[in-house]
Amino acid sequence: MKTPRLLALFLATAVAALAADAKLMFALMPKAKGNAYFLSVKAGAEKAAKELNVELLFDGPTDTNAAKQNEIVENWITLGVDVIAVAAENRDGISTALRKARAQGITVLTYDADAQAAARSFFVNQATPQGIGYTLMDEAARLTGGEGEFAIITATLTAANQREWQKHIEARLAEKYPKMKLVAVRPCDDLKDRAQSEATALMSAHQNLKLIMAICSPGVPGAAEAVKQAGRAGAVKVIGLGLPNENKRYVHEGVTDAVILWDTGDLGYLTVQAGVALADGKLKAGDQQFKVGNRTFAIEGDNILLGSPFVFTRENIDRFDF
Amino acid sequence: MRRHPRELSVAGVLALLLVALAIVAPAFFSPQPLRSLLVREMPALIVACGMAFVIVAREIDISVGSQFSLCSVLAGLLAAAGWPLPLVLLAALGAGALMGLANGALVALAGLPSIVVTLATMVTLRQGLNLARQGEFVNLPDGVQWFGLSQTAGQWLVLAVAAGVLAALAWASRHLAAGRFVYAVGSDAAAARLAGVNPVRVTLGVFVFMGALTGFAAVLNLIQSPQVQPLVGSGLELKVIAAAVVGGVAISGGRGSLWGVLAGLLLLATIPPALTHLHIEAYWEKAIQGAIILLAAASDGLGRKRSNHG
Repeated sequence: MKTPRLLALFLATAVAALAADAKLMFALMPKAKGNAYFLSVKAGAEKAAKELNVELLFDGPTDTNAAKQNEIVENWITLGVDVIAVAAENRDGISTALRKARAQGITVLTYDADAQAAARSFFVNQATPQGIGYTLMDEAARLTGGEGEFAIITATLTAANQREWQKHIEARLAEKYPKMKLVAVRPCDDLKDRAQSEATALMSAHQNLKLIMAICSPGVPGAAEAVKQAGRAGAVKVIGLGLPNENKRYVHEGVTDAVILWDTGDLGYLTVQAGVALADGKLKAGDQQFKVGNRTFAIEGDNILLGSPFVFTRENIDRFDF
Repeated sequence: MRRHPRELSVAGVLALLLVALAIVAPAFFSPQPLRSLLVREMPALIVACGMAFVIVAREIDISVGSQFSLCSVLAGLLAAAGWPLPLVLLAALGAGALMGLANGALVALAGLPSIVVTLATMVTLRQGLNLARQGEFVNLPDGVQWFGLSQTAGQWLVLAVAAGVLAALAWASRHLAAGRFVYAVGSDAAAARLAGVNPVRVTLGVFVFMGALTGFAAVLNLIQSPQVQPLVGSGLELKVIAAAVVGGVAISGGRGSLWGVLAGLLLLATIPPALTHLHIEAYWEKAIQGAIILLAAASDGLGRKRSNHG
């Protein structure tokens, strides 16, 4: 009776010791695990995990659920993972659980959506407002030859993100493109159908309009449908900040010229690379940059920057499925 | 003039706005954009007609935006699965009517206040849809947009269908017993009961009809673009209630006409493109629309006061 129990205890200890010696365990949490956006993040993460020979756990709520995220972090602490990287659904909600994980010696970082600064060592920041604003304005100038009228369709006039992006768009416009003119900014309440009506009115009110820039994701296909129905594809260019799948049809039809976002695969790849480097001590607080192979990522404070946004065009958009 | 003062005054304001636009910004009347803008408002017009009946019956339904979203996504998924459009339409009508039945039963049979019931269904339906779709668009197969017709033919068809529905409902509200019962219950439920009208059945009926019209409107919207955004219809309840109130439907029940609703909706819907044409900042849009609603409500209040004294 006594012997088997001792044997079991011994075996369990041996297994635990083996596990400790084995691969590093990297736990990656999306906001929602079925979401195509996060599945493409996962694909990049898997690539890094393979290169670094670490075990990747990918788990999260089935829908966006802040409480469920906490539960999963608690489970990971019990399981004894080495690194936790979270896209936080609720900035403050997740922070207690993450601080607990750090207190247990687990390396914690955030990506996509940050938690409180004290709850993680680094935030892998997919895009800065300046990067987004400048890239949008540069693309607009490239497509129009740097001159002519353009209009912006935004979510609401008071949305914080959109205002921040618009500020950088206007700064870039003033600095580099004197022959371009922003003639109107219209809200679409994040509704594709409303964006379509707004774009229709913009084209009829501004006969010389060369380009419509939508800085909320439903606005891009909405503006494209309006341009298509007006029969002005090509004459009025459409660009914006959006998701590849919502815009593929218009990009292939030649209505939408460029969709701007970040490379989600790269985001997953960089998150795993940075997390493992942190756990191994190769990356430390205060570092100015992070090198992976021949790529260098800048670090601003405790933000690791993914770099310039990615421009989806007819040539590359089919490689992305989210 | 005495019978339709509100309808005429709203139509008058709309006419003034259009004349001003014709002088200052004649490009507003370019045929293609104008037709496109008008076609885009037709689904809201159908929902506003249903809302007018609900308000005339002295109830309210603030879940129509969520119902519209759900019907749109359902219709989109069925169309994507290869269902023929007539069956898709039936399914959307059925889904809308079922949601209306749930609202109606809770209001008419359980006796709960309609604003509370439909607030609950508005939130529940919206969150359920968010959970199920997580914002993902539904892509429609070719041949759904404009019923597979040319764009111009499709747009005229949408306008003709909406005009037909509006005319039929306006006629029915005056000349069919069911239409008159709605007004009777909204004016005075007790008196209507004495006259042999069953208020419970009428209330249940207006909610079911509201839902079915919402499903119909969702399909009328579905065929206008190749993708369905699950957020479609959010805020629609405010738009159609505002259109009804501006158009002279009394929130206290028993009074209002669909022609007024048409004028109210067109007036409110003209503001955003008018501002774009007049190069006025979008900040003014909600303020102007709010002022119009307030004016309409104030003129109702004053009118009632005067008739009480007289």
